Amino acid sequence: MATIVEAVNLKKTYMLGKVPVNALRGVNLKVESGDFLAIFGPSGSGKSTLLNLIGALDKPTEGKMLIEGVDVSTLNDNQVTDLRRGIGFVFQFFNLIPRFTARQNVELSMAIAGLSKADRRKRTGELLETVGLKERMNHKPAELSGGEQQRVAIARALANNPKFLLMDEPTGNIDSKTASEIIGLIKELNEEKGVTIIMVTHDQRLASQSKRIMQMYDGQIVQEVLN
Amino acid sequence: MKAQDILSYSFSAIKLRKLRAGLTTLGVVIGIAAIVALLSITQGLQSTITKQLTTGFATDTLIVSSQGGGGSFLAGPGGGASAASSDFRLLISDTQIINGIGNVSTSVAVIQKGCYVKCGDKLWTATIIGVDCAEYADIYSSTFAAESGDISLNPDNETIVVGKRVSDPWENGTLLCNVNDTFEIIWTNATARPPENETYTGYVAAVLNEIGGFGIGGPSDYNIYIPISQAQSFFGTTECSSIIVKLKNDDEATIDSTSEAIRNAFDKQVSVMSATAVLNTLSSVFSIVELFLGGIAAISLLVAGIGIMNIMIVSLMERTREIGILKALGMRSQTVLLVFVCESVIIGLMGGVIGIGSGWVLAEIVALVFRGGGVIQAGSRAATTSGMTITPLLTPTVALLALGFGIGVSVVFALYPAWRASKLKPVEALRYE
Repeated sequence: MATIVEAVNLKKTYMLGKVPVNALRGVNLKVESGDFLAIFGPSGSGKSTLLNLIGALDKPTEGKMLIEGVDVSTLNDNQVTDLRRGIGFVFQFFNLIPRFTARQNVELSMAIAGLSKADRRKRTGELLETVGLKERMNHKPAELSGGEQQRVAIARALANNPKFLLMDEPTGNIDSKTASEIIGLIKELNEEKGVTIIMVTHDQRLASQSKRIMQMYDGQIVQEVLN
Repeated sequence: MKAQDILSYSFSAIKLRKLRAGLTTLGVVIGIAAIVALLSITQGLQSTITKQLTTGFATDTLIVSSQGGGGSFLAGPGGGASAASSDFRLLISDTQIINGIGNVSTSVAVIQKGCYVKCGDKLWTATIIGVDCAEYADIYSSTFAAESGDISLNPDNETIVVGKRVSDPWENGTLLCNVNDTFEIIWTNATARPPENETYTGYVAAVLNEIGGFGIGGPSDYNIYIPISQAQSFFGTTECSSIIVKLKNDDEATIDSTSEAIRNAFDKQVSVMSATAVLNTLSSVFSIVELFLGGIAAISLLVAGIGIMNIMIVSLMERTREIGILKALGMRSQTVLLVFVCESVIIGLMGGVIGIGSGWVLAEIVALVFRGGGVIQAGSRAATTSGMTITPLLTPTVALLALGFGIGVSVVFALYPAWRASKLKPVEALRYE
């Protein structure tokens, strides 16, 4: 199995006013293709900070963040941005563009990657079918339920055939029944389509569906469990 | 991201806030409309005035007058430059000196005075021109021509030639005077003590063809002509107001060298004005006026630009999270910049196109008001004013310039907000509430 994500002694220090906050204190981690990793921990444990580093949204204070062997710290702004096109983000609050329909939201990430309109149309149809939202593709986010919005977000994340999906509390903002459906969808993507998934959650139920659970506490990985 | 996709993305953002975009666009519309209206009216005015001036214009003539004399305010470079304090007076007999200069074909002295004119029971003011009508007709052969009667007056007779508007001031066939009518010219001799009115009685020998225009230096529809010998004895003077010089050709070199020769012949005490120089002066005056008016209008566009900047900054704050999403999805900073600049270009373009249209309409309305005013003036003040009409002139250059300026201002003022948007860090932007 090829290593997709590798963190080597990753440290991140924020300045909160004048007080330095050590959000990450030496994290080591390796994710291989086809993996389904859940990063589990209480709030303030550094989960989101780690996720931002894995997603190349931020750069570490110390240590190395390697994505497919490339050290993110060595890349310039454009290179990092281009790298992000290969990562599928799913956020807790969906982060869809409100003025766009489900279809347009999914198409947007492909438009950014420079795909032609015809290709975009075709792939959007397929993706929305995968997440079970084809018949609601012309609705705007405000007209969709939380679960439906998260499905659109997952379809958008999958649009550019990402190296891996990066999920930040994907069920954190939806009711438990819908959450089960989303969990099912995520599991299906991993098992049937072989999509690599890295997920941050404090939902025990969701974490239990993953292949591996990493427990974080106070900026460090304290325990790793294989399911 | 493809250009077309950037454009459609920007457009969707504008469409979301129609009222706000509309008001921002309105600022640009007003700025552009002001520029277009002012410039097209100015250009129209220039073209009208130039046309009026060049009607019956003889390009191969020079007008010589003593410095500080009438008409020198329009004199070109070289005219009226030195001190006008001397006692020099241009004499009627000075035509002999001028005729002796090379390239001069002929010259004619003109005595010009403002007088009262009485015909029947009507009294009005008019300009009296004392001139050798035969020679004058020779110089201005196309314009100084009789519609009725005979202009080759006997210098010993008390005959009068009148312009078309003197005979027919209302342009409706109701004649104030006609050939063979008797005319009284009343001139106040201000040098006599006490000042006294002197009366010259003559009869109308000819009415000129309609000339149109202002007739600078040349014949005019509003003048009354009497033989120079009569004018000389009536006004009791040997001085003349100006001498019209006809050149052998109208080359610029000839005009320049002869002007200089005439000035030198009179020890630089005269100003020499050429028709061409007047036009050049006029054109440079209009350039300044255009620049000034354009500058005023540009200020309103500047205000519009600040409005755009303001809106873009507000929009940037509202859309911080959206920018974070775009960056997370892999949109490059330059593309984010382009998206914002593009929104502004769309506003500038719409404002520009609508502004050019409304500026044109505005110019037409102003021209219409002018035209109305002109007609009223001509009617009420009879022969003394001309009903001048202005046709606004919108050249493609002005239109393109206005459009380019509108878009340019929009882009310049959007650059800072767009740059700020492009520099947002995705992590922070995504956290923004």
